Amino acid sequence: MRRTRAVEAWTVEPLDRFVGETGARLTLLMTPAGQVLAQQGFTRAVDVMASAALGAAIFSSTGAIARMLGEREFRALNHQGRQYGVFLGALDAPRGKLLVLVVYGPDSSLGLVQLFFADLAEQLVVAAPEPEERHGPILAADFERELDESLASLFGR
Amino acid sequence: MSLVNFTTREITCKIVYYGPGRSGKTTNLQYIYGRVPDDRRGRMVSLATETERTLFFDFLPLELGTISGFTTRFHLYTVPGQVYYNSTRKLVLQGADGVVFVADSQVRQLDENIESLQNLQSNLIEMDDDMRSMPLVLQYNKQDLPPQLILRPPELDEALNFWGLPSFPSDALRGLGVFETLKAISERVLRKLSEEASQ
Amino acid sequence: MTHPYVRLLEQITRVGGVRGAMLVVADDGLVVAESLMVGIRGAAIAALAASLTRRFAMVTKTSTVGELGFLHLQGEDGTLAIVPAPTGVLVVAVGGSDMNVGLARLEMLRIAEVAR
Repeated sequence: MRRTRAVEAWTVEPLDRFVGETGARLTLLMTPAGQVLAQQGFTRAVDVMASAALGAAIFSSTGAIARMLGEREFRALNHQGRQYGVFLGALDAPRGKLLVLVVYGPDSSLGLVQLFFADLAEQLVVAAPEPEERHGPILAADFERELDESLASLFGR
Repeated sequence: MSLVNFTTREITCKIVYYGPGRSGKTTNLQYIYGRVPDDRRGRMVSLATETERTLFFDFLPLELGTISGFTTRFHLYTVPGQVYYNSTRKLVLQGADGVVFVADSQVRQLDENIESLQNLQSNLIEMDDDMRSMPLVLQYNKQDLPPQLILRPPELDEALNFWGLPSFPSDALRGLGVFETLKAISERVLRKLSEEASQ
Repeated sequence: MTHPYVRLLEQITRVGGVRGAMLVVADDGLVVAESLMVGIRGAAIAALAASLTRRFAMVTKTSTVGELGFLHLQGEDGTLAIVPAPTGVLVVAVGGSDMNVGLARLEMLRIAEVAR
């Protein structure tokens, strides 16, 4: 079975359950700025990042339309294709808003995704830790040297 | 907001290339995309109009490597430069960790540069941020054009760089200055991240 | 004004023991029209009923007993009945253990005919 790959471990169980229940093809949990917290079903990491950036963009641009209508935002969006659909939903976790992007195929349905998204949102809110307290500097004092080397190798210099 | 994960030791930062229309923001990303090995970059996403001007944004994920034991990724975005796309610019600026302001060095574009810089400032203030706290570097692009058509870096510093920020002359089409700009913004973003964490 | 579909559904809810009826899009599991007693989770039942119907339709097809015509689930405390209409709509009825399944089925089949 495909497993969730997570940057944040607390997301794994709720996402695994969600995918099991809905039969979703791809699932992505991210911040509204498009930073990925967890994903399931993607085979290429780079597709994950592009999907997250585009998903976050869709959400914020439709949010602008929502505000024109006097709504605070749209809590859920659906894009329907012939074979596949994309569902985007928002939830409020202790550290702020999170977005879930779900791609589902003919073996699932928008109704199922909507139904279990409500459960997923609840479970993620319960599982989410309080925002981390940061202690001490993250990077070593001489991080610039490593950064220089990384960038130089990136540019083949 | 950059994403720092202590368990998986990963850092992800968002860097936005800002500036007036046709100043060369997308060209910066295209050059980087072309130079970086396949396994260190993702697909470059461009949402452009038929006339090849950025409509929403360009997006390029980069894998920098390991820095202080953290796998470090940068997500590079551009915003549409044209004045009337301000709501899109604000959307793309959300959650930015650093900004590269790409100015067009042509004499006749000076007003557009100033207007765009002011627009950046007002958008940042609207987001409870400002120029002084946001890591920012300037790039003076198109320095390869004939001297009579452009302003030199000291002149552009005089006109645009009130904060004494690092600024880089560039010819993004041929890649001159692109690397130096990215290096400078990376340093500032990571330094700020590290300082915030140690407070 | 009551939607004509809801008036159709009331032909089912009039049957003894029925607590609610819905028209559901088979493909996406969303409710088109409903006439439900308070407390019945229409959206949830619709989504799950559509998913279930898809699977059962596959079973009847594979086992060469033909198209799925009627699905009847009997729980300890009640009954769920589904009739897939040829138009891609499901007629769904929920009731107690005392639901008159035979009569409900007749009404559901009639509605499946006209719900186009």
